[in-house]
Amino acid sequence: MQQQLSDIELITAILEGNTAVYAELVKRHQRYVFTLAMRYAKNREDAEEIAQDTFVKAYRALGTFKQSSKFSTWLFSITYTTAMTFLRKKRLLTDSINDEESGIQLENHISAYQANGHDQRSGYVYLNQAIDQLLPDDAAIITLFYKGEQSLEEIGQALKMEPNTIKVKLHRARTRLKEKLQLLLKDEVKELL
Amino acid sequence: MKTIDEEIWAYIDGSCNPAESQRIAEKIATDDNYAVAFQELSKLNDLMASDELEEPSMSFSRNVMEAVALEIAPKKLSTRVNNNIIYGIAAFFILSLAAIFVYVLANSTYPAQSTFKLPEASFSFNMSEMLSPLSMKIFLMVDLALALLYMDRLLRRKLHANKTTLS
Repeated sequence: MQQQLSDIELITAILEGNTAVYAELVKRHQRYVFTLAMRYAKNREDAEEIAQDTFVKAYRALGTFKQSSKFSTWLFSITYTTAMTFLRKKRLLTDSINDEESGIQLENHISAYQANGHDQRSGYVYLNQAIDQLLPDDAAIITLFYKGEQSLEEIGQALKMEPNTIKVKLHRARTRLKEKLQLLLKDEVKELL
Repeated sequence: MKTIDEEIWAYIDGSCNPAESQRIAEKIATDDNYAVAFQELSKLNDLMASDELEEPSMSFSRNVMEAVALEIAPKKLSTRVNNNIIYGIAAFFILSLAAIFVYVLANSTYPAQSTFKLPEASFSFNMSEMLSPLSMKIFLMVDLALALLYMDRLLRRKLHANKTTLS
């Protein structure tokens, strides 16, 4: 059985001209990048655009990647800047009417979830619903800490913040997440937590 | 002062020292408030840790590879310089300066009365000579060449951006 190449080995191969192996890097990290993009974009279409743009930018800048940090940390920092640029551009195009519409949609969305009974599967639905209601940075920190296998220092590097700020934000995010879950589930929260 | 939640999160994350960890473990065993908070936060922690990642569309990696195919293949930066080379050049200059200094000191004589005079510097220059029609033409040509280079780079970048958006 062929041994799986590390990220660094794949990058070395790409820089030596074997650009086709970039597909392997994309497959390996696409779910992480896409999930992080979802924390900022809040919808799949925009998140997919951010994630795709991230991988194209990473490819262009691959020669500048300093191998002193993890490739995933470097990739997440590109995702963060790409998402920020995307949201800034989108904000310029969005007017207040759209904001009101999205508020109404969110309310309907919540009631649809409340109508369902919840088992183990819906526990994750409620969790993701609560994460979606967090501030984008808070949601991103939770995702990077629990899913991205990143330390506080690495999260700080990716989001361009001090590790101590990340520590405070992580605590705040988890507290808010618990509050959001309590609001969403009311008395039923005891069954989940 | 830390709240109960803060203490419990530090305990769950394993970010507190062994003594503190021991103290919190005892509190969880003896104090009901700590026990309830620990139960809630551990369940929330397990839920977050076991939640699955979002999956992009089936065509995602193909779309990325199609966009990437339009890009110039990345190359390792040739400008990346090994730090040892920089330290080597610095050491060479420092040693050369030190050697010249020692050589000058070893070969200099010290007269009783110094007759050394500082040379007088003259900074007068004719401005009208510098602003001749030829020098102005050269200046404008260089400016024009730089502007064309900048425009070329800007348009190329826009072209690349359009290609990426269209793909």
